[in-house]
Amino acid sequence: MSIRRVPTALLVVYTLLLALGLGLSSAYWAINGNPPFGSLRLGPWQAWPLLGAPEADPYMRAIIARRGDVPLATGEGMGFRASTDSEGKPLDSACSYSIGPVAPIARVWTLTLYDQAGRLPATELGRRSFTSAEVLRDTQDRFSIVLSRTVQPGNWLQLPAEGPFTVALRLYDPPGAAGANLEETDMPVIQRLECGA
Amino acid sequence: MRGFGRFVIATLCGLVIAVGIHIAAILASPYLADQDAFSKVQATLTAEKAQIISAPGGENTWLPNPDPATAVATCAFDLRNGPMRVSTRTGSLPLSFSFHKETGGVFFAVTDRAAVRGELEIVAMTGRQLDEARAAEDENDPSRDVRIVAPELQGFVIVRVVAPAPSLRPQAEEMAKAVSCTAEQDA
Repeated sequence: MSIRRVPTALLVVYTLLLALGLGLSSAYWAINGNPPFGSLRLGPWQAWPLLGAPEADPYMRAIIARRGDVPLATGEGMGFRASTDSEGKPLDSACSYSIGPVAPIARVWTLTLYDQAGRLPATELGRRSFTSAEVLRDTQDRFSIVLSRTVQPGNWLQLPAEGPFTVALRLYDPPGAAGANLEETDMPVIQRLECGA
Repeated sequence: MRGFGRFVIATLCGLVIAVGIHIAAILASPYLADQDAFSKVQATLTAEKAQIISAPGGENTWLPNPDPATAVATCAFDLRNGPMRVSTRTGSLPLSFSFHKETGGVFFAVTDRAAVRGELEIVAMTGRQLDEARAAEDENDPSRDVRIVAPELQGFVIVRVVAPAPSLRPQAEEMAKAVSCTAEQDA
């Protein structure tokens, strides 16, 4: 009798521990990542259009609360992130990149560099972002922003000394339903120029 | 073999309960979070003007991934003190309001394109306060307020002003700070 009762109790404890361990660790893992559903991917750029909408799903709400973030609301703007170049290779500050030649229509857009932790990188140049009003354009209204560690002519953003980085493109007050009618050809291309040094 | 069967059943039960715990944890976390945006802006509940949380330049802010080109200011509100009126004069710089629930999530957003004669004014209230305001209204002189029903009693407004050039950053910060948020007594 006692031999049979002990395994049952042990099995119950095992079941509960398994449930707690798996349930909590998977939830923790989920809220520290990106929202699993509802992402919009245009080339290297990724956005979650519902992140700033009343229809945000429970994962998005949990992730916003976890990050302490205030996402751009639908109707206010739209934020895209890129952590790879247009060929899918991770962005690395040992390389140099060019971003251009077009960006989606918006009242203002801003392009900002971040380090892995989501902070603005510290560089000697001190400039970490371009806005649509600042960027120099050619006669056909195209632009090219060069990201590199060494000084470049034209639109240049200095990359941090080392490590991976991400680029954010924020569209403020875009026309129409944010993101609904964007296509990959509207988004700037992130082209890797050279690596090393 | 019988012992192994019991072990498999216990594992399956564990997995099913784990799914339930996962869902419960995800649903509960916005309510339990103590480092979310609302808990950081709560100090601004009594302020009459929006308080800067991320000045242009993006330095010294708790906001993750700050945009250096924008000034972000906030007002927290508690509708138990009455409806909240958020108003500002708009200018040449793009300005937007977004209304957030205490537990995260946006319930309304508007840009300065909706401004009337250079004034952008929104009143956030509960459904009950809306009914009261309607009942108290003079039919011949209806209120022109833009009224938004908030799904929760507490929340916060985020004001974003974009400075397209660095020289406009001080102006953007001034515009963001100039937004007034006032609780109305039985409006």
